[in-house]
Amino acid sequence: MALPTLTALALSALLGPAPQEAAEAGRLAILTAKVLTCADEGPAFVNNAVVLIENGLIQAVGPAAELEVPEGYEVVDIGDGWLMPGMIDLHCHAAGLSLFKTNDLNDAVFLANPGLRASASVRPGIDTLRVAVAGGVTSVLYIPGSATNIGGQGVLLKTGLLEYEDMEIRNPGSMKLAQAGNPERFLFGVGRSFMNWNTRKTVTRGMAYARNWVVGVAQGAKEHPDPQWDVFRALNEKRTQISAHTQVYQVVLMTITMMKRDLGLDVYIDHGSVGGWRAGAIAEQYGVPAIIGPRSIDTTSAVFQRVTAARLPGIRGLAAGYQSLGHTNIGFNTDSPMIPQEELQLQSALAVRYGFVDDQLQAARGLTIVPAKAAGIDHLVGSIEVGKHADLLWIDGHPADPRSAVRSVWIEGTRVYGRPGQERLW
Amino acid sequence: MVTNLSLAAALALTATSAAIEPPQAGTAGAPSAMSALEETTPEAGALGGVGLALKADKVLAVPLEGQQVYDRAVVLVRDGKIEAVGTAATVEIPEGYEVRDLGERWLMPGMLDLHAHIGGTFDINDAVYLANTGLRAKTAAIPSNPALDVALAAGVTTVLFIPGSATNVGGEGLLMKTGPDTWEGSMVRDPGGMKIAQWGNPERWLFGVGKSFENYTIREILRRGAVYGDAWMAHSEGRGPEPRTDPQLEIFRFLRSGQAPIAVHTQVHQVVLATIKIIKQELGYDVFIDHGTFDGWRAGGIAAENGVNAILGPRNVSMPNRGLIGWVGDNPERAQGVAAGYYERGHRMIGFNTDSPVIPQEELQLQAAMGARFGLPDTSLETVRGLTIVPAVTVGMGDRLGSIEVGKDADILVIDGHPADPRTTVFEAYIDGSLLYDSEQKRLW
Repeated sequence: MALPTLTALALSALLGPAPQEAAEAGRLAILTAKVLTCADEGPAFVNNAVVLIENGLIQAVGPAAELEVPEGYEVVDIGDGWLMPGMIDLHCHAAGLSLFKTNDLNDAVFLANPGLRASASVRPGIDTLRVAVAGGVTSVLYIPGSATNIGGQGVLLKTGLLEYEDMEIRNPGSMKLAQAGNPERFLFGVGRSFMNWNTRKTVTRGMAYARNWVVGVAQGAKEHPDPQWDVFRALNEKRTQISAHTQVYQVVLMTITMMKRDLGLDVYIDHGSVGGWRAGAIAEQYGVPAIIGPRSIDTTSAVFQRVTAARLPGIRGLAAGYQSLGHTNIGFNTDSPMIPQEELQLQSALAVRYGFVDDQLQAARGLTIVPAKAAGIDHLVGSIEVGKHADLLWIDGHPADPRSAVRSVWIEGTRVYGRPGQERLW
Repeated sequence: MVTNLSLAAALALTATSAAIEPPQAGTAGAPSAMSALEETTPEAGALGGVGLALKADKVLAVPLEGQQVYDRAVVLVRDGKIEAVGTAATVEIPEGYEVRDLGERWLMPGMLDLHAHIGGTFDINDAVYLANTGLRAKTAAIPSNPALDVALAAGVTTVLFIPGSATNVGGEGLLMKTGPDTWEGSMVRDPGGMKIAQWGNPERWLFGVGKSFENYTIREILRRGAVYGDAWMAHSEGRGPEPRTDPQLEIFRFLRSGQAPIAVHTQVHQVVLATIKIIKQELGYDVFIDHGTFDGWRAGGIAAENGVNAILGPRNVSMPNRGLIGWVGDNPERAQGVAAGYYERGHRMIGFNTDSPVIPQEELQLQAAMGARFGLPDTSLETVRGLTIVPAVTVGMGDRLGSIEVGKDADILVIDGHPADPRTTVFEAYIDGSLLYDSEQKRLW
């Protein structure tokens, strides 16, 4: 039992005082100048609003003039501040970083590793996550690296909680696919044709395993779990998705046609960059969400230009590219630590800078409800709606403006950052 | 021959007179002369053209001192220079001026980046010696190259194109405008400055040098240079014989006579201290912090006292979770904005740079955004000034660039909001009164 104590000591040394305040009476009312709900239904925003929270869940949202705060609620008035849902990053490698960036989740023994789990590397309260919270990121999909075509299983986590059990939203959070672009470095120097064959073969075998499992259970057969293939049961039962690191036009096409159209799996474009926007229309047609980043643009001057078919007069915003081809589910990711976890906001800022239309709060939605839906956790997080987790940000202004400061963060109704008297990280 | 002569004469006229008679029909070579005239008639606001009046909802004039902002304002431009700026009520538009009403849009001065490597090809990082005072970035310059075109579209109108940091003295930088496509048109000042890399990169040099040898090298060459430059100054004032020309040390004639400053890539507390103490206090050079990052802000107070301006970037924050932290003894507890750190220590001449292409040249704006994100106050337009007048004054061009003031170059941007918000778009960029980027004609994004 000495180990947990040591871990706790190490953590407290790293973090100083525990950042969470004791769960309040469980009933909280937040008064705000503006709520960005980021909800699909109902108003996109509510001015002069109140949000009621009970036992970590959102109980009510409405104009302060209409919604009375019942007795027994702790009231926090944030004045001119806005309230928005916590941000969600579906491409994070920084929830378990150990010293010298040896992050234990990019093993490349095989070219496809569906059995490996990022959850084995999580470090609750690690400094990257602490800074993430200060940047308004409340949920992440912590996934293996892209050294191989299938890196393993990601895990969906809350950033600001200090016990693994509290952090976990869903495991497996995804199966991580790197369609092409990095696994070329593998042992034998593989290329696109071998990689796509290997991926197709692996997924086909995995799905056969999952279907056989269903048949076997129905027939009363004894269960023989195979840890290499178990994730496919979750995929088969639509309990998780494939998060595909996919970029460049024909590679994104492979993701859409092979994974979604031909194999019938829920998949989303993750780490979408470099030219992939040209597949925006077919991605929309097959219902494949597009999570964009860490590189938000194609440029004439970049080396990457050479691997894309793009011929551009200047700079093409990638989110703008998907959007211009009719795509309606566009979100943002960092690939932390490639882009620091706390700079998720900036990914949306650059999208708008480079042409992404933000007339319906698309930038804010791309940081919240769009990734929540892509990862299938929109019943829990991603918008300020009754019944969802009270993961809330007090923010100065529009989230796509990097100057907008996050003043406070609540996760499941508990203020984990920016309490009165607690110094902000910046 | 006759045709060519008359064409030459016509061209000469256009340069001096805005009101030129069209050539008579039937004169020799009339058609070609006509078309040449149409192409070369200077546009309103440019040298030789009629005057230009720009009406805007807001003008961020940002002079070093004086009124910073004008609402519902007019800027008059003539012969490439700013002729007047003020509210519409106070500025009368002279007759014959072309008037452009920009509606809700704003005007600001073109931005300056004092740490750019994209003014041409990148063969500007030669490391034969550890100090290369004789090398010149201008031998690699390519006016209006694609990176400069994109820079202009993002509002960067002037860059200090400098050698890399492979050695302690990389050589001469060139101060150039981004838009004009000729050497003469793009050049602002040659030399623009001398590039020093105090520490941080030259360690990669041949013998694996460290701080003590590097600082000795810098001190030694700057001392020799001072003797050379001072001897030439004495000669020019009739107080000494003509020194023998030494191409290795020619730059010091400019440095010692105040015609060009030293741009120092300097970062980390004790390295910035070395910059201030050696180059400014001990040797008396005009010097500024360039590419200021990491915890150099801890020297913000002494930098302010010594008049050493701080141009910051490409990294504008010291985070608690970065691998380099252990190296610089940086701030483990909180995220410290670099600009905010200088500001909190009383420094008021804070600007921004990109180190392009490390940060793309077109993202200079973002450096200011990150400065503000991480704590730099913006109550007196500090972010805007850091993109314009501060670098202009720092590089010794405060009389020509960096603000919308009477007599300055008409390097003006048409924008739709605060320049420190990266969502703000640059719609048009004027350089010397010429509209060189027009998003209506050719939008780059």
